[in-house]
Amino acid sequence: MRKISLILAALSLMLVAAQTATSQTYVPLWIPDTLSGTNFNLAIRDTFSQLRPGNQTITGGINGKFWGPTLFFNAGDTVHLHVQNNLNDSTTIHWHGMHLPAVMDGGPHQVIPPGALWQPYWEVKNKAATYWYHPHLHEMTLEHLTKGIGGFIIVRDAEEAALALPRTYGIDDIPLVFTSRRYDASNQFVTQNTAYGDYLLANGTHDAEVTLPAQFVRLRILNAEIERGYDIGFSDNRNFYIIANDGGLLEAPVMVNRVKVNVGERVEILVDLSDEAPGSALDLKAYNAGQAFGFPGGEPGINGEFGSLLNNVNFNMLHINVSATTPNAITQIPAALASNIYPSTADVSLTRNLAITGGQVTVPFTFDNTPFVLSTINKQVNLNATEKWTVTNNNIFGHTFHIHDVQFKIVERNGQTASVGTHEQGWKDVMYVPRGESVSFIAKFEDYADAEHPFMYHCHFSNHEDDGMMGQFVVQDNSTLVRKSESAQFSVYPNPAQEKLFIAPKNSELGIYYITIRNVLGRTMMMLPKPNMQSGIDISALAAGIYLAEITEDVSKTRTVIQFIKN
Amino acid sequence: MPNVRAQDISAIADLKLRNTDGRWLAMNDFSDARGFILIFTCNHCPFAKLYSKRLNELHRQYSAQGVPLLAINPMDTLVYDEERFEFMVEKSARDSFEFPYLQDNLQLFARYMKATHTPQAFVVWKNAGGWEVVYQGAIDDNGAEPGKAHSYISDALDALLQHKKPPLPKTDSFGCRIYLRESK
Repeated sequence: MRKISLILAALSLMLVAAQTATSQTYVPLWIPDTLSGTNFNLAIRDTFSQLRPGNQTITGGINGKFWGPTLFFNAGDTVHLHVQNNLNDSTTIHWHGMHLPAVMDGGPHQVIPPGALWQPYWEVKNKAATYWYHPHLHEMTLEHLTKGIGGFIIVRDAEEAALALPRTYGIDDIPLVFTSRRYDASNQFVTQNTAYGDYLLANGTHDAEVTLPAQFVRLRILNAEIERGYDIGFSDNRNFYIIANDGGLLEAPVMVNRVKVNVGERVEILVDLSDEAPGSALDLKAYNAGQAFGFPGGEPGINGEFGSLLNNVNFNMLHINVSATTPNAITQIPAALASNIYPSTADVSLTRNLAITGGQVTVPFTFDNTPFVLSTINKQVNLNATEKWTVTNNNIFGHTFHIHDVQFKIVERNGQTASVGTHEQGWKDVMYVPRGESVSFIAKFEDYADAEHPFMYHCHFSNHEDDGMMGQFVVQDNSTLVRKSESAQFSVYPNPAQEKLFIAPKNSELGIYYITIRNVLGRTMMMLPKPNMQSGIDISALAAGIYLAEITEDVSKTRTVIQFIKN
Repeated sequence: MPNVRAQDISAIADLKLRNTDGRWLAMNDFSDARGFILIFTCNHCPFAKLYSKRLNELHRQYSAQGVPLLAINPMDTLVYDEERFEFMVEKSARDSFEFPYLQDNLQLFARYMKATHTPQAFVVWKNAGGWEVVYQGAIDDNGAEPGKAHSYISDALDALLQHKKPPLPKTDSFGCRIYLRESK
């Protein structure tokens, strides 16, 4: 036994040596471009990237070659997204963590066909934090995410702006999306039977390095893996501060030297580099050696669907070179951050229990033994209800649970308030549910009711989600009168139109829920949820010709098709 | 070397596809051809776009030796506006294609040859009066850096023209997926 331990120790030393030897050349970390204002143009496209020597890798990018721009939203603004799908495939874009109407949410129902433009919009009601956007096409999420389609959303608000926090993007405020990939012999991403990549990517960069000033620096960390969790710390074991969870700042910074970040979760940390001399270096690392995460007995070896070169080892995530301080450097950390009023147990009107099921041999994981079906609404939630959801995992593997529409507060782990981690005390939209544990959250479902269009809840492991570990709920407003189907008539003007098209109901009581514009071949050109008819529809990008507008009435959901001509 | 049985595609050798110059062409119209370089490609795929110049070079080099290059666009024009025939004509002119650029509008070639991506190459050789696939896969091993690329097609043809077997009958190809419209 002793001999084996010695051999193991020698082997792990060799592994460490091998890692040190291979990580001496670094590639500058790519910092995504930024878009700000209230109109955001996103073009999703097939492309390719030079990620390693030799042939290029087929990737997907938004306005670029891998990943997409960081969107800056100001709380209170109404943001308009113009999402053009230039992929070879249909897809969707989900605004992960955002509180918005279901019809704008970009879930599996909002399929954008190739060549179509989708224009959702909403008022930003979220608190300042780090969110993201990514594809959510059912059964295709893993493949589209693996291509690299996605991006950050950074919400700013007055409460956060009043604090002395680092917020110079790319200088002392760094977005970091971590994921990993496996390559085939032709340098292409492997998407079949692979849940764990062999090579880490930081913002689409292998072996990334960044130069950070010798002062307090803010890292906005997102885990965009398929399944892998990270136990993150610094190579010199220094302490750092967690300042925000998925959906907002914590009340006060939490000092730690490790933080676990599981798939879909975001954490904002502050690290003080003022003790480092310019020219020195340290590493941000995943201390994953010996961590079991989902696997009983630890992560498996290097081969097979769940194997990986990164399994059960500590690995570098980002090499940090320290430079001189910047003017107006942040030199101390605020004692208090945000005042958060969470929904309380006393307000809970309904408790729901979900069990993690399936996952045996060839049976995919599910909730309550019910695989996802696109046409089945699994739960109905009343508008303004505060609910407690408990997800119980008496199953074989850990999962991350994500729910759309709301930010929630984790209140219990295994029924114990005290068991909720200090690192997960704030607003959350993803929570880790380990094997043999139940986790409870409380959320209030406010603002947006839609009896027709559902929100999702699902495991954020994209392979599990694609295989049906997902359900959907509608938020219903029982005070709204439901109008029966009736003849809805709309007028369209001017017709022919050149720049703007106006569509108005002939009866002012009627509203417009959705307009889909198709050409005469039936190809979807534009998808417009709840279009603002006062400002009209910008059709200037359409080629001249005859088009059909399918109008869905707001309440009755009656569909009317009218023809117009674009000059 | 993987054991890949040569696929006989004589059945589609008389199938005529529309070229960007308006003519309808079938493989059997090339009576002097010893073989063909068939390239499934399209207008919109960024990886396929990298190869225009190299396709001209391949065509120039090997058509002189009886092996012309035929580019075939199998994309569904109802789904992809950019793949319409008029845009093929534009692309052929813009990229100065010296070879036919054929529209496989019913996706018959793609189905028969089990093409999966653009760009994807097939080298077809005349054998006992029929046509056999003797190489299929990538054009070469580097899309964006032609100077560093090793041409699998040249390897195959240089061997065939010396009455030898291609050194590598199959490689992986990748790019934009060809979606075949459901047929009932």
